Amino acid sequence: MIRRAVLLVVAVACGRPETIEPSRAVPFGGYSELALDPTPKGHRRMVPPEVYLRAYLTWFGGLSPAQVFQKARGRKLFDQWADYLVALGLPDYAIDAPRAAQSNTVMLAAMGRLGEALCVRSVEHDLRGRPDKRAVFAFEPIANPSRDEFASRFDTLHRTFLSYPARLAPADRVDRFYALYRSVAARHASGLLSADESGWAAVCAALVQHPETGLY
Amino acid sequence: MKRPLALACLACLVFANDGTRADRTTAAKTLADYRYFRALSIDLVGRPPLVDELAAYEQPDFVLDRWLDKQLASPEYAERITRVYLDLLRLEVPQSVLFHTASTDLQATHVLDPNGRDVTLYFRQAQRRRNAAIDGQVCFTEDESGLKVPHDAAAIGSPKPIPKALWDARTVLVKPWWLYADYRAKDPQDRASPDWVQRFGGFELMQELFVERDKTPMTAVRVCREEAQTAEQGKVFVTGRTNVKGPVPAGRLTRPPSDSRFAIANSGKLVSCITDNGVKSSAECGCGIGLERCLPSGPPGFMMPTEAPLGVREPFQKTARPAHLWMRTWWTEEASHFMARIFEDDRDVRELLTSRATTVNGPLALFYRTMSNSRCCGDVADLFGYTTPEPLFDPAAVPANVVVQDTTTWVTIADRGPHAAGLMTMPIFLLKYGTRRQRAHAVYSTFLCKDFVANNVKLQPSQEPDLTKRPGCATCHTRLEPLAAYFTRIPEGNWTYLPPALFPISLDRCKQDPKNMHSGCKIYYDPAFTSTSHTVLRGAHASPHNADAGPQGLATEITSSPEFAPCVVKNVAESLLGRPLTAEDGAWQTAMAKTFVDGGFRMRALVRAIVTAPAYRDVNDQRSGR
Repeated sequence: MIRRAVLLVVAVACGRPETIEPSRAVPFGGYSELALDPTPKGHRRMVPPEVYLRAYLTWFGGLSPAQVFQKARGRKLFDQWADYLVALGLPDYAIDAPRAAQSNTVMLAAMGRLGEALCVRSVEHDLRGRPDKRAVFAFEPIANPSRDEFASRFDTLHRTFLSYPARLAPADRVDRFYALYRSVAARHASGLLSADESGWAAVCAALVQHPETGLY
Repeated sequence: MKRPLALACLACLVFANDGTRADRTTAAKTLADYRYFRALSIDLVGRPPLVDELAAYEQPDFVLDRWLDKQLASPEYAERITRVYLDLLRLEVPQSVLFHTASTDLQATHVLDPNGRDVTLYFRQAQRRRNAAIDGQVCFTEDESGLKVPHDAAAIGSPKPIPKALWDARTVLVKPWWLYADYRAKDPQDRASPDWVQRFGGFELMQELFVERDKTPMTAVRVCREEAQTAEQGKVFVTGRTNVKGPVPAGRLTRPPSDSRFAIANSGKLVSCITDNGVKSSAECGCGIGLERCLPSGPPGFMMPTEAPLGVREPFQKTARPAHLWMRTWWTEEASHFMARIFEDDRDVRELLTSRATTVNGPLALFYRTMSNSRCCGDVADLFGYTTPEPLFDPAAVPANVVVQDTTTWVTIADRGPHAAGLMTMPIFLLKYGTRRQRAHAVYSTFLCKDFVANNVKLQPSQEPDLTKRPGCATCHTRLEPLAAYFTRIPEGNWTYLPPALFPISLDRCKQDPKNMHSGCKIYYDPAFTSTSHTVLRGAHASPHNADAGPQGLATEITSSPEFAPCVVKNVAESLLGRPLTAEDGAWQTAMAKTFVDGGFRMRALVRAIVTAPAYRDVNDQRSGR
């Protein structure tokens, strides 16, 4: 037994060494360069009230504040500028009041009201007026648009208020706004605005009040 | 907004370097690209991009650098950066701060002319007249007009027609500056009309100022004869009345003026009619040609913007106000235009404090030419021989061809005078920050980004008048008092200059027992630092050297400080990033400051560096919901 064991050890120890074939070098998969962004981050900034007002006048077709007041008032859509200005967070240097750094409910309500006035008046002006004079609804309106017909027109509004094409927005954005359009149009078939006009006014007002409009 | 370091690190995003930057114009734009372009447009154009601007941005030939060059030379960019400093300095004063001076206030009242017609009569309450019965009040007695006229209020009594001889002797018709654009001409013809709003871009009068009550065109205004005088100088006269006491004479609301010390000392001598002294001591000093040295305090007929967040050229609300409030509007506008010019022309930012230049429009030209010295020099000024103002803004520097009604044309004046120092010597700054310490603090915090904070200091009772030495107070005042001393020669709440030759730091004749100090000395020399052997000009005790260096000395100290450039970077970057800079931004802030200094302290290069930096482009936390 012992002799066999010794022979086995000798045989193993003196035997031909086992050879291992070197493998070929294979590059690591899935490699790409990544850059670390070390810059401090913050919440999105509020669009300064001066910028909001300038944009508002521009959306109204580049009118002066007095002209906007004249055009927007009527049917209690628009009160006085002074009522809104104080709510938008402008600074008052005379009394050392700083500009508002955060939104508040009064500010959002004021922006909502301004948005509604803009959208209703723009519907009346753009969709019933000369095509070359359209400021907000700069597209050819059609009655009861399909989803695709809506999407191309919605993109114009999306670019106007949010400054980027709707295709880059979250995937369901067009569908949600189309649903809003159809819902409002269905419920406002009669009134001062037609069903389609009401639908577009609602879409416009929703975009003006969208958080992305007031932030950057 | 401050975040702990760990949170900030968590917020750091890892971006694949996939070429999504906005300047990669050949690639399809990503959402991040659009958002970056929108941010640039908001900050440099003053509004989000228009649809056609977005379309241009999407074109392969769009070059961001070229677009930036264009925007960084635009008035909108200048307005944006000006807003940074307006937010910091807040150069407006509340309604309660009025530009009311005895020499400029032209009060309107109503009297009945010889035909029994209700006529608006303009007069100055402080106007000196040879006739003792009407000296220092409206030019008719109660017996003559049936009225007593209080200061800034409606007349009291029952009006009666004024006899014609008296009417002709005491009043005269004048074509005033607010009614005629060519009021300095021999026969002014260019009368106010509704088209002036377009022609002069905002000079708008209510009808009360250019239409008579019977709706006929107003071609001139009725003024007391003394007020209508046009001489540049008048002879000082004395009445023999000194220290008038006792009951108010019948028919008057006030006692007639006493002879001032100045009048007694200078009787018969000529005095400048643009000064307070001239008006108060000479019956020959009127409101000048076309009443140009005066502002009608009524009726409130000057339309002025009361809500103008986008500038006075685009008012959201206008209200009719008296001329002195209207004039005050332009003081704020001067500072705003002065800053905008520096940014739009890409001048050295240090000029905000050092420049002797400024920018004026029509109303400001009128103010600086004829009214700005009306606060000089006071009853006791003669004690120091100060009767001719040494102005911060030399009236001779104002171009003669500026039409006073022209509110929209802004003219650059290269040199206001030897004492001018950027924003610091403008009336709006000196009124907003009325005291020497306020002025120093405003400059210190705005341009060095530092503040005076006393941590855990216990204030102890002390008799020490010097706050640089008083326990507790010294923590801040050791630094503040020498800075405040730079404003020693501009009295508090005023904008006249106290020349060193007349107001030395220490004046022998004011070295008195502080308890019995001469009232004139007390106005200018500080009783707290006065004894029989010593006195010091108010504000100068902490640094006589700084007092003589004046605001220009402060400008030099601040702009040569190593903290000046980083502070400019901090103010501008924080405004553009919408968040405070933190310690993590230190290296970047230093690099930006270097860019700023290397670029000759020009704002354009700095703003370009900021808005093209990752700190700006990637400023937002892109995670959902942020």
